[in-house]
Order: sequence, then structure tokens, then C-alpha cells
Amino acid sequence: MSTHADTPADKAGGSPIDLDDPSLTRFDIVREGARLDDIEIVHYEPQFPVAGTKAERRVTRFVSFLFLLTGAAATAFLAIYIWWPWEYKLAAGPDKLYTPLLGLTLGVALLGIGFGILTWAKKLLPKEISIQARHDTSTPESRKIVGNTMLYMADELGVKRRPLLGASVLAGLLPVGAVAAAPLVGGLINNPHKNNQMMTTGFQPVDGKPVRLVREDGTPVRPDDISTGGQITVFPGIPHGVSNKHADSPTLLIHLRESDAEKARANNERNEHNRGYMWGNYIAYSKICTHAGCPASLYEQQTNLLLCPCHQSQFLITDNAKPVFGPASRRLPQLPIELDAEGFFVAKSDYTEAVGPDFWERP
Amino acid sequence: MKRRKVDVRAVPAKAANAVDDRFQVSTPLRRLLNKVFPDHWSFLLGEIALFSFIVLLLTGVFLTFFFEPALTEVIYNGSYAPLRGTHMTAAYASTLEISFDVRGGLIMRQMHHWAALLFMASIVVHMLRVFFTGAFRKPREVNWVIGSLLFWVGFLAGFTGYSLPDDGLSGTGLRIASAIMLSIPVIGSWVTSSIFGGEFPGDIIISRMFIAHVLLVPGLLVALISAHLGLVFKQKHTQWPGPGRTNDNVVGERMFPRYALKQGGFFMLVFGVIALMGGLMQINPVWLFGPYEAWVVSAASQPDWYVMFLDGSTRLMPAWEIVIPIGDGYVIPPLFWPTVVLPGILVGLSLAYPWLEARQTKDYRSHNLLQRPRDTPVRTALGAMAVTFFMVLTLTGANDVIAEKFFISLNAMTWAGRIGILLAPPLAYYLTYRICLGLQQHDREVLAHGVETGIIRRLPDGRFEEVHQPLSSGHGELEYTGWVVPKKMNRLGALGPAIKGFFYPIEKPVEAPVSPGHPPVEERPERSEISSDNR
Amino acid sequence: MTSDTPDAPRGDVASSGRGPGSRGRHGGLFARLRRRPSAVRSRGRRRLGAAVRLVAALMLAGGAYTVFAPGLQAQETNQLSAAAAEGKALFDVSCVSCHGSNLQGVEDRGPSLIGAGSAAVEFQVGTGRMPMARQEAQAERKPALFTSDQIRQLGQYVQEMGGGPQLPAGDDLAAGGDIAQGGQLYRVNCSQCHSFGGGGGALSSGKFAPNIRVATDRQIYAAMLTGPQNMPVFGDNQLTPDQKADIIAYINEALKEPNDPGGFNLGRYGPSTEGVAVFLVGIVALVFACLWIAGKS
Repeated sequence: MSTHADTPADKAGGSPIDLDDPSLTRFDIVREGARLDDIEIVHYEPQFPVAGTKAERRVTRFVSFLFLLTGAAATAFLAIYIWWPWEYKLAAGPDKLYTPLLGLTLGVALLGIGFGILTWAKKLLPKEISIQARHDTSTPESRKIVGNTMLYMADELGVKRRPLLGASVLAGLLPVGAVAAAPLVGGLINNPHKNNQMMTTGFQPVDGKPVRLVREDGTPVRPDDISTGGQITVFPGIPHGVSNKHADSPTLLIHLRESDAEKARANNERNEHNRGYMWGNYIAYSKICTHAGCPASLYEQQTNLLLCPCHQSQFLITDNAKPVFGPASRRLPQLPIELDAEGFFVAKSDYTEAVGPDFWERP
Repeated sequence: MKRRKVDVRAVPAKAANAVDDRFQVSTPLRRLLNKVFPDHWSFLLGEIALFSFIVLLLTGVFLTFFFEPALTEVIYNGSYAPLRGTHMTAAYASTLEISFDVRGGLIMRQMHHWAALLFMASIVVHMLRVFFTGAFRKPREVNWVIGSLLFWVGFLAGFTGYSLPDDGLSGTGLRIASAIMLSIPVIGSWVTSSIFGGEFPGDIIISRMFIAHVLLVPGLLVALISAHLGLVFKQKHTQWPGPGRTNDNVVGERMFPRYALKQGGFFMLVFGVIALMGGLMQINPVWLFGPYEAWVVSAASQPDWYVMFLDGSTRLMPAWEIVIPIGDGYVIPPLFWPTVVLPGILVGLSLAYPWLEARQTKDYRSHNLLQRPRDTPVRTALGAMAVTFFMVLTLTGANDVIAEKFFISLNAMTWAGRIGILLAPPLAYYLTYRICLGLQQHDREVLAHGVETGIIRRLPDGRFEEVHQPLSSGHGELEYTGWVVPKKMNRLGALGPAIKGFFYPIEKPVEAPVSPGHPPVEERPERSEISSDNR
Repeated sequence: MTSDTPDAPRGDVASSGRGPGSRGRHGGLFARLRRRPSAVRSRGRRRLGAAVRLVAALMLAGGAYTVFAPGLQAQETNQLSAAAAEGKALFDVSCVSCHGSNLQGVEDRGPSLIGAGSAAVEFQVGTGRMPMARQEAQAERKPALFTSDQIRQLGQYVQEMGGGPQLPAGDDLAAGGDIAQGGQLYRVNCSQCHSFGGGGGALSSGKFAPNIRVATDRQIYAAMLTGPQNMPVFGDNQLTPDQKADIIAYINEALKEPNDPGGFNLGRYGPSTEGVAVFLVGIVALVFACLWIAGKS
């Protein structure tokens, strides 16, 4: 440890000095204060002891330049903020530069202050090394005193002497704790199975009438609206059917090629759920992925795979939409479809399996 | 009338006396002004998090004045033409308004989001520093726990925050969050419908997340950060071993003026970097995602980077569902394990680590000195393993972007992740362990044999040998003290006091030390050159 | 085909100057040729001669027809237009090996083009995807091998051979498109594969939806109409031409132009590049700042 200080160092914990001594410098008083805090300033050295050197002037000029740069950038920020055309227009234009210029000027202003202050601290302030003692252990005496104080307080309370008191406190306060939590928990609790909502979607027949499949703009769908190898997203033709209120209802209606449709139909027959759910070469599956609920919507028309972009589950459309890759473990529910009297697609019934991500009590 | 003379110069003293009469601040203030802080660049990483948090608060207040946290349906009629006439929620519409119709709104939004990403990034970097240097050991285990909690509370803050605009990307994330809650056995469907107020998405989730994001979570963050900083203050910061440093002292500089100025300047730098990023780099362009609709999704959907590791674990999980054939049949879907169980294990492991390590090393002493990573090869290797695990999962979270950009099959990326998550961490452990041992060995070798000078000498019998500069003056063995062993001649001052500058060495006169802690180098009265004639 | 020489003696024609016993006797051959034939000949020889003359006449007629008649075509009934004929010439050189000389397709190499239409040709050939460089998961866009005139001819040929969807005329197929409607349609129908920014996305097993920002109006329209490779088909009954115009207008004005109001858009990949940026720019810059502030002790 060096002792290369300018003035003789007092060891920390040494004898206190007389603060009224007129020969004391201000630094001596500082050092005394440090000593009181168990700090010893072992090295204190101004970087520019001789005033007015060229080096000092250079550093000072640099710091001043940085502060002035800050001021200029801040002024530029204000000017741009007030006068630059900022209203958004679709085409390219000066408004696209509004945010970047604001960011640039604000950034330069802040960096200017930052670098200015830091350069001041690093280059102009004296360098020092101080050592502070930690004193991070309690004395055994203090522990004994507090320990005994607490034990005595416990004795004073007299719970040991009067066990009935302690028991009744516990028995009485426990329900109070629950009372505090009850409104929040009780208010929040919401029965997930009311109206059997987890097992029904918007395609449930209304008053016995099957629900039409409609496009996003509400118009019903005919078979020749979809080309072979095409797919369309359909919704239940009920009020608010095309909205997040029926977030479990969006369905993918696919027009398969003849050979693929035969395969799909044969596999449908093998499955006890999906027999007869297709209409012609048209097949409808829930768009809501059974893994985590994203819309599984990347239909590859040649491989008949439906890819979900969130976690890359892949479902084989020609085999009851069973998952063939990725983390999904349950096939997509199929919607039974047919045509109504006017030739539009309707859902024969609601989905016969739960739609969307899996849950504990899913039958 | 007699004018009262006001002595301007005495005003500060009088004011200070008035304050001290009432509050007795003089001694506490002195303690604060004199407090000694150690000086190392890696101790500043946590402050990046602190300062980004302050920026988050400032920009966040602005945003709360314009954001409408409601799911009521409106028809957009603002400046962004491609969405005019579209049905959307008030939350989304107000976010668009901030971006396009409030002067300077977009840069505030972007600064807020960049600050959030930087907050989480700096927490991770800071946590790694604390881990690899052993600063979490007794007496700082509780601070480590608070810090780990800060990561997860920050995670919550970020998630609720970016879900507020109700745009296509974050709405999809919210859908996945509801599916995650659904997957919890027994209570899953109740938890989901209680939080959402019904079936997804319900009418109330944005309002609830808003209150969580602007009141409950920031309150918790402020409390935790205050506790965290308070503990650092009370326990004093750790320090590296070195000249004059012991387990019972702190060597550094006093708080005022130098250290405080450095803090203030650094705050400005962090703020400046956030401002530059907020203006120059676009983030979260919600107008391109469109409003959240349950039937719309974009390719390349990812959450923010600090959530991406959970997205990755979800993508990698094989489709293993557990069916319990009692009654109607119950099922634990495969989503439960990577999104509920895995984070639970990670939280538990990270919270318990200080005690686990103390138990394993049987080291129950208080430590105020840090350890070089190479000196604890097991901990360092474990840390490397954890980092590798995290990286594989995070990269997998973006595996469709990587697949598309680099023309790799998507299925192959999934398999690479599944195999990588099992193989890469143990490999990282082994490599890191061996590297640590090698570095330790080299330290002791230099201590024993001296620094290589690069000067080759030929002995009379024809052998060549390199001259080594011994580090000890006597013949005794030097013990390794836990600090950096000089390995180059210029570090010894043998080639003139080359004080390292930042980008190039700066030669300075011999008296001045470079930084606190580095002892000043005195020029020896006779400087003997090291040449091929000397031993 | 042996040529007749009317001067050859009867009965000797089949041997073209080489009669039995004529080998080696040159003088005998010429002498016999010059000699007048004897009047008496066998019945068989006479019949053979008649048959040979008949065959010769038929051959003459056939040869003349072959030489002078117009070229044979695969389709016997229609005539191809001039453009289609040019297209056929190009097709026969570059496409037959995978798509068959009758556009019927070749097993494991190329699908049938009957019903593909000129729209498909304009898309596939115009974007350079066809001719495919090698059999792989998906054809990739590359510099087009043919000029736009040649592409038009190829399209005409395929159209005339098998019919199929055709593109409307003109280069600006977005005229009058409503970008708000287009955005809505884009998000429902297109963004799940092509991403919100139009940059494309990965599909299963090495396939991908390409970047549409580099496509022309006609190429986008053609892709929607024909459903190339694994892209679904969006026929005109499903997305009307007006709706297709809306979508193209949206892509042109909102996606193609990098008119990002917030600065550099980091590739429009979403949070993945944002995460990379915060580390590579933010953390790196601030770590350097930490190093400078505190120095190394």
C-alpha cells in the first residue's frame, strides 16, 4: 500500500484532532470526518496541481465543448419538435425523418452531458484511494441483549401462561385473513363451464336451425367460391360471429383435390367422430390450434399439411387433421358441413369435440 | 426604515443550520458523502438496469396520458391510411394515435420499449456478473434472491406492457398465455376464466393488465429495487482482491464528488443510448400487425427476447400428453411442462443457488471479496451450462426466422433444437471446466517460473532457452492470492511505465497511478536493461 | 429406300445391278445391262416386279408428301397461333423433360400443365422459378431465363394447349385498390405465410413462402390466381379481381416502400431482430462505456 500522499496521513482510528485549531486546512477537517466513518484517505492527488497548464486547458476546453454541444443538440431537438413536419403521410416524405431526428438530437444532447460530466470526473477531479473498514459483524453482546429483550417481551405477553389466549388468537385471526382475500378472489372467480361454453362454439344451431358458414364480410359461401386447392376462413353466420367474441369459432374450409378428398373421406370413416363430416370434396377444420390456440392457418395445398406458425405443429388434413410433427398432441376438431336449400354451406351441428387448447377436464 | 442587511454568502449556512435543527441530518449526510465505493467496470452493469428503469418510469407516465386501456370496439379514423375504417379496440386505436397523431408520441413509445428490452438485458448481464464472481455468497444471498425476483417481475412488466396495445402479435401471445394457464392440471380452466373474466379473450383483460402494468408491477419493482440498493448500501459493495484489499475493508473512492459524478454521467449515457435507439431503430410497429383478431396470425411470431426462451421450450417439447383414464378421462397437455414446470424449476434453482452452493462447498463464511471465474471451475462451468441452455432455447424461439433466412428446413431446426438442448449444455460444462483449469494452471506456472520476456538465450551447450522474469525478489514461492497475475512485461513496468490507455497505450510520468487500487509505480534509481547478457 | 432405275432390266431390279453370278464379272454386268432383256420371264418374277413397282409408287407419294406437307403436330385438330408456336419451340427445348411433350407431366419430375394457364406460366417463368435448377423442396426465384416476350409466348402455348386462368391486361393491377380493405384481406389470407411485412416465412420441411416485396403486380396477381406449388389457390370467386387489386395496392403502398416512421426497421422480422439489436447495439455500447468510466483496475 503506497503512502504517496501530499500530506502526512493520519491512520484511521487514530487520535481525534481539535477542530478549532486555526492551522487546520479544510482537507484536514474532511479527513477527520472520514476518520469518524472509519475511512482512511491513503492517497489524494490532484490531476493538475499546477494551474493553467496546457494539458489542463485542453481538457477544460473539451468538457466545455461537450456541454455546448449538448445545448446545441437540445436546441435542435426543440426546433425540430416544434417546426419539423411530423404528420404521417403514407408515401415517403420528411415526416419519416421526424422520429429519427428527434432521437438523434436527444441522444446527442444526453450523451454530451454524459460525456462532459464523465470527462470532468475522470480527468479534472483529484484521484484518490480511500479505505473504509467494513464493521459488518454484530458484537455478541448486542445479540444477547436483543435476544433477551425479545424473550422477555414474549414472557410479558403471557401467552405461555395463558394458552387459551394464544389458541383463541390463532383460531380467530385465521378466518379474518381469509376475509381480507375473499372479495378479490371471490370477485375474480369465474366458472369456466357456465353455459357449457368450453364445449360450444358459434356454430351451435340456433333454435334448431343450422348456422351458415360466412366469410369475414358476412356473406355466405357457396361451393364454387373456392377453387380446387384453395382454402377460406369461415365464421358462424350469427350476430358478432366475425369477432373476438367468438374467438373459438374461426374455421378453415378447404376444397381438396379428388384423390386427396377420397383419402380424407376414408380416414374420416375410420374415425368414430368424423364420419360423414365432409361435403363432396370440401372439408372444414377448426382453425384454432389444439396446442396453444394460435390460428393454424398455413395450408400447404400439395402436401395437405396445415402448419401452425407459433410452435410449428403440423396437422395432416387428409387424415382427420391429426398432428404429425411438433408439440401438438390432439387433432383439430372437424366441423360437419352440408349445403342448405339455397346452396350455401351450413354447419350440420356444432363441433363435437372441444375446440382449442387442451385442458384438464376435457372429455 | 432601516433596511435589513442580507449577507448573501451566509445564506447556505443558515439554510443548512435550519434543516439540521429540525432533522439532524449532519452526521448521516457526512456518512453518505464519505462512503467508499470500489471501482471496477463490471460493477456498473446493474446500474444500466437502474437507469433504464427510471427512463421507463418517465416515458411510461407520458404514455399513460394517451393510452386507453379498453376493449370497446371503435372504427379507426386517424392518420394511418392503411387502417382507416378498420374495426379495432380502443386500446389499439389509442396506440395508433400515440404513434401517428401525437407529436413526439412515436419516439416516446419506442424509447419506452427499447428501455424495457435494455432493462431486461442488463439484468441478465448483471446477474451473470454477480454469478461468475461469487458475489451472491454470504452475506448477500437475500440480495441475490431479490435480484432474481426482479428478473421475473420485470418479465411480468414487459409481458403486460407489450400486450396492452392489443395488436396482432401481442394478442397471439396473450392467447398462448391463456392456453398455458389452461394447461395447469385441475385448476387450469378456472384460472384462465377467472383472469380473463370468461372465455378468451373476454372484455376485461386489457384493463386488468393495464392496472398491473402501471401500478402493481411498478410498485413491486420500486420496492424490490429499493431493497436491493439498500442492501448494497448497508452491506457495502464487494470488491476484487488486490493490493490493500481484505475481506474487512473497501478500497475505492469516496462517494462525492467523483463517484457521484460518474453515476450521474453514466445515467446520461444510458439515457442517451436509449434515446438514440428509440429514434433511429424502429421497434414494435403495431400498425403493421393490425388489430388482434383470433383468426389472424403472422409468420415469424415471437415474443420479446426475454420471453423467447419459453417460446423455444414450447416448440421443442415433443407431443407427449398424459391421459389419466379415471371417469371421463383427464389429460395433462404437453404444453404444461415447458411453460409451467420448466420456469418453475428455473425460478426455484436460481433462488436456491446460493444455499445449494454453500452446502456443496461447505463454505459458510462471509465473503466480501470476489473470485475470479477461473478459480471456481465448477461454478463457472455450471454458469456456462445455464447460459448455453438459455441460448439454445432463445434461438429456438426464433427458429422459423432462422429457417427462413438461412434456408434451413423448419423440421430440421426443431430437431436440432431437441438434440442441442440435451447435448450442448454438458459440452459447454466440460469445455468451460477444462478452460478454467488451464487458466489456473497458467497462473501458477507464471508465479513459479516468472513472466516470459521473449528474449531467447543460447546456452554454451547449444540449447536455447527463453529468459523469464521472476516475480518474486527472493527465492520463495509466490502464492496465488486470487488476483490477476501479470503475464506481460509491460505490466511489470519493466519496459517503461506503459500505463494502459483505452485503445492504445499511453505513456505517462511515473508518479501518477492509473486508477485507484493500482499502486503507483516508482522508477527504480538504476534501471538495468534486460539483455541477453543478464540472467 | 432403294431407288429405282427405270433402265434396270425386268426381273433384275431387286438386285440393283447385282444379279446372280454377276459378282466378279464386270464385263458380264455391263454387257447384260446393255443387252435387251429376253421376252420370256417367269410368272413369279412378273408378280414380284408389280409388287415392287407398287411399293415404289407409294414410297414416292409418301416421300413427296413428307417433304412438301406442313409439319406434324401433337394436336391434330387445332392450329397454334404464331405466338404459341414460338412458345412451343421454347417449351420443347426447356420444359419437355419434366412436363412432358404433351404437357401431361412426368412422374416424380413435373406436374401436368393442362389447366395451368398462362397466368401460371407468367408467374413461374417470369420469376425465374422455372426452369427449375434442380429437384428440391421448393423452386426458388432466380433471374428469369426468358425475356418477357418469350414468357408471353410460352404462356400462350400452355393456354392454348390446356386452358386455365389468365391474367388481366396491363402492368398496374392495383389501380383503384382500397389499401385499408387490402390490408384486412392481406392479414387474413396472406400474413400467416408471408409474414406481416411481406418478407416471407418458413413452411414445413424446407419449403417456404417467399418474399413478396420483390414481386411485380402481375406476379402477385398470378400467384394468387394459380396457387403455385404449396400456395393455396385464391380463385376469382373467392378473392374477386377488385379484392386482389386491394391486396396488391396494400402490398405496394404499405409493405414495399420502406416508409417506416420510426427509423431503421431492422428487417421487419419482429422481436427477434429487436432482441439481437438491444444486445449488439445497446449492451455493447454501454459495456464499452463502463470500461471507459471505471478503467481497469
